[in-house]
This record gives sequence, structure tokens and C-alpha cells, in this order.
Amino acid sequence: MAPKTAPSSGTSNSFQSLLKSYIETTSSRLKLIDVFLLFLMLSGIIQFAYCILVTNFPFNAFLAGFGSCVGQFVLTASLRSQVNPANRAEFKDVSPERAFADFALGSIVLHFFVYNFLG
Amino acid sequence: MVSPWRLLSFLGLAAAALAKSSTGNSVLVVLDPELSRDNFSRFFDGLEARGYELTFRTPKDAHPAVIEHDHPEFAHVILFAPESKTYSSDITPQSLVTLLSKNTNLLIAVSSKATPLTSLASEFSLILPPPGTPLISHFPERDTPATVIPVDVPSRTPVLSGSLSPVWFSGVPFAFNSNPNIVPILNAPPQSFAADSSEDSGADALVDAAEKGGEGLWAGSSLGLVAGFQTLGGGRATWVGGVDLFSDEFAQKPLTDGAKPGNEQFASDVAAWTFQETGVLRVDGSAHHRVNDTAPRDQYTINDRVTYTLHVSKYNPTSAEWEPYSGIDDMQLEFTMLDPHIRTALKPTPEVPGEYALTFRVPDRHGVFKFNVDYRRRGWSYLQSTTVVPVVPPRHDEYPRFLSPAWPYYAGAISTSVAFLAFCALWLAGDSAEPKKSKSTKSD
Repeated sequence: MAPKTAPSSGTSNSFQSLLKSYIETTSSRLKLIDVFLLFLMLSGIIQFAYCILVTNFPFNAFLAGFGSCVGQFVLTASLRSQVNPANRAEFKDVSPERAFADFALGSIVLHFFVYNFLG
Repeated sequence: MVSPWRLLSFLGLAAAALAKSSTGNSVLVVLDPELSRDNFSRFFDGLEARGYELTFRTPKDAHPAVIEHDHPEFAHVILFAPESKTYSSDITPQSLVTLLSKNTNLLIAVSSKATPLTSLASEFSLILPPPGTPLISHFPERDTPATVIPVDVPSRTPVLSGSLSPVWFSGVPFAFNSNPNIVPILNAPPQSFAADSSEDSGADALVDAAEKGGEGLWAGSSLGLVAGFQTLGGGRATWVGGVDLFSDEFAQKPLTDGAKPGNEQFASDVAAWTFQETGVLRVDGSAHHRVNDTAPRDQYTINDRVTYTLHVSKYNPTSAEWEPYSGIDDMQLEFTMLDPHIRTALKPTPEVPGEYALTFRVPDRHGVFKFNVDYRRRGWSYLQSTTVVPVVPPRHDEYPRFLSPAWPYYAGAISTSVAFLAFCALWLAGDSAEPKKSKSTKSD
């Protein structure tokens, strides 16, 4: 296989082609979603590292902060799968507008709980 | 609305005009007909001079009864009938115990004869020697019989006043069981022993007993001659090994060095202690509040700083009033939930007489706690005060907020919300900006 014969050039090539094809074929809305997902993931990682390395006190604040990242990530990922044109066949009944409204409502409820729990 | 304490103090003032005892001034003296009242005139006159009303009767008289309709008729009872074997029906060991439990004080003299009272003594953890074995001592050398003994009086006890001269004693000793309610007042001289006759005929038996390791040996200074007993309810009973201790004959009998014996003062002190004149303390009240607060709270929060205050009074027999008393320096406060979570010294407040105060931190543990003061010292009234308070965790709005270590979490939650809003704005803006493009992609 290609990675065996020229691993470094092969992986970099395939990574570059992956990136290229992502930039070219993905719609700007999905890119926006992906940026948001990346931000949430980094925020969650930072908070988890802080909890492990520094302090988990007050624990309710950690749960709220980390939970808001995780919950928002899940909701956003759901939105992404529902508005992705490639999944159109699977979500015949869900229009992108409806998907966004679900996402927005779910997020507002999530944030309501997060701020109540934050202390 | 008159508070019960004020009512009590009014009653106390009313009684103060009559008597110096904290419990009452009526005394029943059950005097054996064989004992001459004149021989105890100093003791009885001294009591009357201090305001007591003495009523005399013999053990076999039915009236006046010590207890009638379950109500004690006298505040104090003196039983000077050491050799009476039969009493009228109102004086039984049971009735005497009932009297004590109703806060009537007893002064009981026993002798070397077996009577119903000697069997009662064992209920007070006093072990009397076999009948007919009085205390004997051959020291110091003197011209009295060997059973009439001068006994040195301990100098520092809460019962006796100051240092007294030795007192003449004639009677039986008793050994003590380990009962914390016993107050030894006078102990036997170290050279004395109990023997089964007033002569020295029992000396060989005594030597035998000593060689057997002391078993059956009644000797030495661990024997008591006069012992008080204080019940948990505050009633006091004093047992005296020989009634002659109170007699005029002994009060006037010069000691071996010619000095006056201390019998009269000793008898007066013993009566004063027994009749609850001296060594009488009471708890006036206790209070508790949070630091920087004045009113007590229904419940405290864990880790609160709480101040506990106790007020103690001592009865002053000369003025017949309760006075604040700050002389206790070994009292302890316990903050108890099953076990004492805190046990610490409760010291008198320097400026305020009679006040004992302590500030401490409530443990980090919720539950139903008790402030508990239980002060028991020989010769003093027992002090007991228990206050129940619940200790609860903080309410939901009493926890500290906006802690500095939590700021990364706050920042995480806020940034998520801000990013969510920005995302929504961009999404909706993109929706309106490129509807055609999205339609065209669809059509493609």
C-alpha cells in the first residue's frame, strides 16, 4: 500500500487532498458548524484539563461549564447531520429550517440549565 | 407575665426571712428516748439560733409523720436513734429513700448495733462492720476509753469551714464502695481499727486478719466516720458513725493537749452541708447565639461560630440569697451528637460574676446536637444543663458565590453562550444572504 512505501509523503499527500476536498466540496454553512464544533471541543478540553490539573472546586461550576460544551457540541453535531445535503435521504421530513429551530430551542434550554447550575 | 425565675426568687425571699437553708427550715428530730435532749443542747440550740424550727419525736411516735399523702412534711430529718430496732410505720428504709428523692435531707446516726438503718446504709454504698465492732484506737495516749478517739479533721473540703481542731468520736466506721455520689467528710485515724469489743481481746484476730492480706480487716484511714451522700436530685444524706459526735459531752471534753475540740463547729458544718446551706450551686440559665448576634437561633449552620453562656449561682447562707458564683474553674462544655464532638473548658468570664462563656466553631457535621454541661464534684450540688439545637448544612443561597478558582468554568459557559449567539447570527445572516445560492445548489 502507499503508506508503506512512502509513509510521510503519502500521509501528507492524503491529508492535503482531504483538506482540499473538504474546502472545495463543503458548503460554507457546514464549515461554520465545524468551526463552532472545533471551538466547543477546545473549550471542553481546556476546562477538563483545568479540573484535572488545578482544581475541581466548585464542582457544580465545572459540571455546568463542561456540560455546556458537551451539550452544545451534541446539539450542534445533530444540526450538522440534519442540514448536511448528503443526509437528505435520511431526514426527508426535517427541513433545514426546522432543524435549526430545534437546535436553537434545545440550546436555549441547555443554557438555561447551565446558568442555573453554574452557581 | 411573671417569669418562673422571678417567681422563684420571690419565694426564696419569703423563705429567707425565716431560714438559712436553701430548701426550708422545718426539721424533724427523731430522738431516741434513751438519749437526753439536754446532752445535745449545743447542737440543737445552734440549729434553732440559725433559724430552724425543730420538732422532736421518738422513733415509736406516730406523729408527726415524716411523710403524709406522699408529701414530705419536713424539709430536713435528723435521725438520732442509733440503737432503736423498731420504728413507727412511717419511718422505713423505703420512706427515707422517698424523702431523699423529694429533696428532703437526712442526717442519720448509726451505732455498732444492728438496726434497720444499718441495713439501709449499704444502699448508700457504705459497708458497716459486723455488729458490735466499734472503732478503737490506742493512739494518742490518753485517759479516755479506747473507743473514744480524737480524730484529725481534714482542712480542705467543701463541706467543712477552715481548719478545725480534732474532734472526739465514738462509734462505728464504715468502708466505702465505689460510688461517686459519696462525699467523705471525716475519715478514721490511720492507727484505728474496728474490733469486736471495747477491750483488746480481739487483737489476735486482728493480727491474723492483717497477715491474711487485709481481708476482713477494718482498719486505717480509708474508713469513713462521717460521710455525705448526694442524690442526683440534689437531696443530701449524711451518715454519722456515732451520735456522740454531736453531744455536749464531747464538745466540752478537752483534747489531750488541753485544747477545745472542734466538735461543735464540726457538727454545725456537717448540718449546714446536709441541710443544703453550703456547697449549693444552681444553674440560673444558659444561652447561645451566633458570634455578632444576640438572639439565640432555632438552628445553626455547620462551621458557624457560636457563643455559649452559662450562669451559675451559689447559695449564700448568711444572706439567704442566691449570688452569682464565678469560682468554678474546671467546668467543661460538651457539644454532643451521640458522642461529644467538642469537649472543652468552660471558663468564667473575668468581668461578669457568675457567667461562664465560650466561643467555638460548630463542627462540619449536621445533625441534632446538644450543649451539655454536667458538673459533678464531691460536696457541691450537681450542675446539669442540656440544650438541644439542630445543626443544618447551609441553605442553597448561603454558599459562597463567584469563587476565583471557578472563573475558567464561568468563562467556558459564557463563551459557549456567546459563541452560540454568534453562530445563530451568522447562520441566519447566511440564510438571508445566499438563499438563491442554496436553491441553486439544490437545483444542481
